[in-house]
Amino acid sequence: MNTKERAWFLLFTVPLLFIFTTVVVVPFTIGIFYSFIAWDGISANPKTFVGFKNFIDLFRDEQFYSSAWHTVKFTVLSLLGVNIVGIVLSLLVTSNLKVKHAARTMFFLPNLIGGLILGYIWKFIFSDVTTLLGEKTGMDVLFFNWLLNPQSALYAMVIVFAWQMAGYTMLIYVAGILGIPDEMLEAAKVDGANLWQRTTRIIFPLLMPAFTICLFLTLSGAFKVYDINLSLTGGGPFKATEMFAMNIFNEMFTFSHYGLGQAKAIIFFIVVALITLLQVVITKKREVQM
Amino acid sequence: MVKARVYIFEVFLFILALVFLSPIYIMVVNSFKSRAELYENPLALPTSFSFEYYIQAFEKMNFLSGFVNSLYVTVASVVLTVILASMTAWMLARTDNKWSKTIYLVFVATMLIPFQTIMMPLMQSMNWVQTHLNIPMMNTHEGLIYMNVGFNASMAVFLYHGFIKTIPVALEEAAELEGCNKFRLFWSIVFPMLKTITVTIAIINIMGVWNDFLLPSLVLTDKSLRTIPLSMFYFFGEFTIVWNLAMAGLTLTIIPVVIFYMFAQKYMIKGITAGALK
Amino acid sequence: MNKFKKFVGLLSIVSLIVVSGCGTASNNASPEESSATTTDQPLPKISIFQTKVEIAESLEALAKVYTAETGNEVEVWGSAGDNYSTQLQIHLGANSGPTIFTVSFGSDADKLQSYFSDLSDVPTTKDIAPNMALERDGKIVGIPLGVEGFGIVYNKDIVDPGDVTDLASFTNTLEQLKADGLQPFSLSQENSFLITHILNTPFALQPDPQDFIEKLNDGEVKITDTKEFQEFAKFMDVIKAYGKNPMEVTYDTQMGDFATGKTAMIHQGNWSYTMLDDYDNMDDKLGMMPLPIEGNSKLSVGVSQFWVVNADASADEIEAGKQFLNWLYTSDAGKTAIVQDFKLIPAFTTIQADLNPLSNAVYEAAESGQTIPWAFRYFPQNVDLIPVTQQYFLDQNMTGQELLEKFDEEWAKATRSVS
Repeated sequence: MNTKERAWFLLFTVPLLFIFTTVVVVPFTIGIFYSFIAWDGISANPKTFVGFKNFIDLFRDEQFYSSAWHTVKFTVLSLLGVNIVGIVLSLLVTSNLKVKHAARTMFFLPNLIGGLILGYIWKFIFSDVTTLLGEKTGMDVLFFNWLLNPQSALYAMVIVFAWQMAGYTMLIYVAGILGIPDEMLEAAKVDGANLWQRTTRIIFPLLMPAFTICLFLTLSGAFKVYDINLSLTGGGPFKATEMFAMNIFNEMFTFSHYGLGQAKAIIFFIVVALITLLQVVITKKREVQM
Repeated sequence: MVKARVYIFEVFLFILALVFLSPIYIMVVNSFKSRAELYENPLALPTSFSFEYYIQAFEKMNFLSGFVNSLYVTVASVVLTVILASMTAWMLARTDNKWSKTIYLVFVATMLIPFQTIMMPLMQSMNWVQTHLNIPMMNTHEGLIYMNVGFNASMAVFLYHGFIKTIPVALEEAAELEGCNKFRLFWSIVFPMLKTITVTIAIINIMGVWNDFLLPSLVLTDKSLRTIPLSMFYFFGEFTIVWNLAMAGLTLTIIPVVIFYMFAQKYMIKGITAGALK
Repeated sequence: MNKFKKFVGLLSIVSLIVVSGCGTASNNASPEESSATTTDQPLPKISIFQTKVEIAESLEALAKVYTAETGNEVEVWGSAGDNYSTQLQIHLGANSGPTIFTVSFGSDADKLQSYFSDLSDVPTTKDIAPNMALERDGKIVGIPLGVEGFGIVYNKDIVDPGDVTDLASFTNTLEQLKADGLQPFSLSQENSFLITHILNTPFALQPDPQDFIEKLNDGEVKITDTKEFQEFAKFMDVIKAYGKNPMEVTYDTQMGDFATGKTAMIHQGNWSYTMLDDYDNMDDKLGMMPLPIEGNSKLSVGVSQFWVVNADASADEIEAGKQFLNWLYTSDAGKTAIVQDFKLIPAFTTIQADLNPLSNAVYEAAESGQTIPWAFRYFPQNVDLIPVTQQYFLDQNMTGQELLEKFDEEWAKATRSVS
């Protein structure tokens, strides 16, 4: 890189990097320091340096493992749910249907209701509406209060998360699909390819970049999930749906173990970052060849 | 035959949309009900469609002032995010060295940090900036905008980066040979090609910033600065929600965004058919 | 296209100016701000942050009245429900805390006590009812917002309190009501309403609740070995056997079922009146009675929140904060607002209460000394009894005795690991 190019590089990247560093990187680094400190989170109260004690403690904490496990389960299920629904929706709303514009808005609407109130509405649906349906239809195997069973409460969270995020990924898939040249699809049609063939042979391969993006967005969204967790299940019943972010939040602010909470956050970050970076690196490699 | 199939598709789509909209139905019908009526049957249509609760919510929330504040914060945050992130992402995507790779990975990795884990140190450092450098980050819209840009940066860079990679470099190289500098090259050739993804990023960020509660609740404390989600706090008690007002307030909050979204959708489709670059 | 280019160019220039000029643009504002705190202006603008969302609007209105009367400015911050303590903690941690804020008694107050200013010289503190102020080392540091109480809220048309005086009569009454096709007794799924409040009674019945909790923390006593809790377990078993599963009841539905006469009794407090008020003709039917564990005949009454003045604020601000609190409890506007708009039961000898049926029950109990304290405020912060209680109500086979064992386990686990 010559000097001139370097200057351009800096001019283009430094403004954002500066903001980003001050807002995200610096606080995160401060957080790393807190993870070596025993502190209740009240700044007037004493902070004592305890070395790696917090990290040792957290590996003894059963709840740490179980919330990690819930988060993994939730993330895998959400990844599937969100992206399958998202792709189906994007195909539907880019097809030649009259109602596609209306549908596109409707599918996106869930995104507009912020996390907390959304959770409360769904809580009501899962507790009251499903039991009502169960009584009316007699299908109480399917319709019962999902939030009272540790297994189904987790599925309930997946459903709500998918319902909310699907419209979001749909938007990105739509952008990808609209970017596919019409001529290509027309040519395939002329060659006698049916709808299924056109979808799987042309649209899907060309959607790979959008797919990578959505996968990552869902992954990071699911790993960090907090709002829905809080308002829908509150981590219950008996902590069976307590996700990682909630476990960390409670440790920091409810149980007043700020340092321990930070230590958990750091370990969580390292693990998740390794997994997702691996995923990004792999998929990026495949994209370059396209 | 073909017609019938399209018809079935439309019906399917309609049912799907209905399922998707049921929570929104619950939101809207209950914005017209008293607590007693809500208790009786939350699914039923309201007995009267008086806009009483809307008017109450509108007044309690000080909706107009909240709207102006939200609009300012959202537009400024998103415009800045789009401009800065597209430039950064383009540079990172087109420069093939260790630095740009590292920076890119840092951006991506930080998308995984739950906000709750950094909010305490963030507020501490912002307050330090305020008291030691005399830059009012706390309790100003500009401070909030600055932080929004910082938090939205990673995802915007990530999305731009992904799409820039799919654009052929040839066009840019040709322009550069003609003596076009990087700044002009970017704004006159590259950026217009990024229209689709720009609209997508804008929509995503507008939703995020418009609905955000946690960050603004920490930054903005003065009543006159409150954004719409903040001014809804009156309806969320310690144990219960004033449902009718909360639902009415929420409906009021999302209407502007729905309108915006419908316009953006139209623009997105037009932009693609008109541009036809890809 | 040209227009678009120009627009983009303009935007990028503006953005660069905004980004690089963030400091300059904002510098204009800072001198005003710093001057406000350093000059000799007698009373600087103060801020109030408090947890009771229900009174937020009236407090804002009252702040305006205060400004009009005295010329001093007060800013009331907003906060949503359970977000309060986290936000307060972060604001205090960032040295941008409010001047006046609220704390609850016990562990919460202990954690924040380094922020308390001495309020002993605030004139109105001498009017606080006996034992109602928050004290540290003999100094008054917190002024009570109001008194609140809880017990069994019952429907007078259905239940006679004379039939609910001990375990046997409680059981009979529930059985009878159930046979009549009613929901006899209901808790609800929210943490406080599921276990914390109802568990208060056996704790408060200990000779010295605070001492008992300390011994519990040190492992010197056990919940399972204490007779009040053994009877509590039997009460819970009766509630579980005859009542609706509280995990399926929200505060909203609990109130609705009660207001419409489907539920006879609920374990609730005077605060629930604001919700019952939304239904027709409730007043004549409402009563509150004690939870009769070991024949207990007293309501659980305590101060829910105290006003404290942030010791971290400047001397001027502390002074301004004290003046506002004094005004709040001595001026006519303040006194009226507390009873009429905040709907609180004042803990002041100088303020006449204006009471609904539930508040009245609490007020009368307090007047006659028929109260037990809010012992649950002394629970250590990381003792989390919610999950095991949820398990108790969801697992058909779990008994009250087993619940007590789980409480002991949880208590040991939480107090053993200190970090």
